[in-house]
Amino acid sequence: MKTLNFYLFFLLIFSGCSTRNNIIKIKGSDTEVNLTVTLAEAFRSVYPQIVISVSGGGSGLGIASLMNGNADIANSSRRINEKEVELLRQKNLVIDSFIFAQDAIAIIVSEKNPFDSISVETIRKILSGEVKEWSQICSFTKPINIYGRQSNSGTYEYVKKILGIQFSPYAKQMNGNAQIIEALKADDSGIGYVSAGYVLKGNITGLKLLKVYDNEKRAVSPLDAEAIARGEYFFQRPLYQYFRKNDWNRIAPFIEFEKSETGKRIILKSGYYPLMTTI
Amino acid sequence: MSTQIRERLDNTFRLIFQSSGLLTILLLGGILFMLLYNSLHFFSITSFTDFFFKASWDPDEQYGFIPLLISTLLVSLGAMLLAVPLGILSAAFLSELAPRRVQAFLKPVIELLAAIPSVAVGFLGIVLIGPAIAKVFGLQNGLNALNGSVLLAVMSLPTIITISEDAINAVPKAHKEASLALGADHWQTMFKVTIPSAMPGLIAAVMLGLGRALGETMTVLMATGNASAIPKSFLDSVRTITATIAIEMGEVPYQTRHYFALFAIAAILFLISLIINLTGEFFANRIRKYHA
Repeated sequence: MKTLNFYLFFLLIFSGCSTRNNIIKIKGSDTEVNLTVTLAEAFRSVYPQIVISVSGGGSGLGIASLMNGNADIANSSRRINEKEVELLRQKNLVIDSFIFAQDAIAIIVSEKNPFDSISVETIRKILSGEVKEWSQICSFTKPINIYGRQSNSGTYEYVKKILGIQFSPYAKQMNGNAQIIEALKADDSGIGYVSAGYVLKGNITGLKLLKVYDNEKRAVSPLDAEAIARGEYFFQRPLYQYFRKNDWNRIAPFIEFEKSETGKRIILKSGYYPLMTTI
Repeated sequence: MSTQIRERLDNTFRLIFQSSGLLTILLLGGILFMLLYNSLHFFSITSFTDFFFKASWDPDEQYGFIPLLISTLLVSLGAMLLAVPLGILSAAFLSELAPRRVQAFLKPVIELLAAIPSVAVGFLGIVLIGPAIAKVFGLQNGLNALNGSVLLAVMSLPTIITISEDAINAVPKAHKEASLALGADHWQTMFKVTIPSAMPGLIAAVMLGLGRALGETMTVLMATGNASAIPKSFLDSVRTITATIAIEMGEVPYQTRHYFALFAIAAILFLISLIINLTGEFFANRIRKYHA
């Protein structure tokens, strides 16, 4: 029995070597892990000969693994930074990127709220606590109640960073998207932010999603998939996949699958936006 | 059994019991050391004035501890205002007035209250108590200090009732009989004789209940809204020390100012509950000695 195990062990190692070309290792952003796993599972039923392994650990880890060869594709919810570009140059690696999906954050208020669209500047003033009463900016005469996420949420970090603000100390910190939606249903003076994917799945009777505009640009709804594909919505963040350029032939089937109709359907169903055109 | 074997067994068992006792002390000492060590580190890089006089807790910017402290105290105080009268009166009812059968049924039910997981209590706060508070007070949202107080009152009731009941039971029968013999009625006896002579035990009950309320995390995290501004009333959202640690511990980069700050507030919470629990124990011991 022992010898048998021993042989099996070697068999596994050698078979691993021989099929090296058929394994795609994906590492990186925790935001993208669930979506990538869903995509990989669906991909397997189409290409059973290619094995895909997916793991998280953060965008930085993904890119580092891509550099030292531990990953074939790096998932990243941010663009590659200067330091990493420099390291790549030192290592003589040429990489390429692909935006496989986008994430959007929706700004939500009660149906009774007079706003239909809102400027980024106003959102900034509200969330930072500079404006405390609706009467200061519209015909509504109620104090503003902010419903946000807790500071361990990626959405919290993202909104804070893209607006460049500190959240108002009076902002309530809720446990998750569901609690924000329920609180807003009961509170017609509230404003909150949740992932657009959650809105697609959730029941939002009595609420409305505000269209958002920046400066002179057109106001865009967070549910407008086409505008998001064109990059016109303010609170959208592209989800990148980085790969080594000379690996293209090896990983192309998976990337092509993500771009396919099936792939797009999975991305939409998971609460993200597929890209209509490649960038 | 030979004497030798018996002695050896005795020694072995003594060693086992001794070391398990020592292990507990060691654990407590270790936790205390870790808390103090890390908080000292925090105070070596942050001034006391920043910590005690800044009005907001906003990690990486300012570390004002006061809003958190006021929130914690406000919620616990509210819980005690609700739970103490209710708890002591229930205890008095249980030990003095309730028929034996009611007593036999009610006691386990009250103790069962302690077995409800705090997440479940917090959930009730979100879906039941919160909306009810919003309706009663005409608010937009019921996630506030009052909500936390109501839930914590429910959670500290079993502690308060159980210990109060023991204290009331421990009042010697002779005291009551003397009072009744002098012509006092049942109520006068209860409020002027029984409850006053059980007072040390009742204080112990309140202190231990308060200790329970101060340290509770999940319930207040879910039900109080977690806004980090200084609350002005029971109807404001609050953010307690425990909730802050629970929310931020998961994402704090290690060995940074923010990380040490969380240890510092944990150490202060530990000191507060230590003092309260010691006070409770002190009074509990007094009643034990008194009646021994």
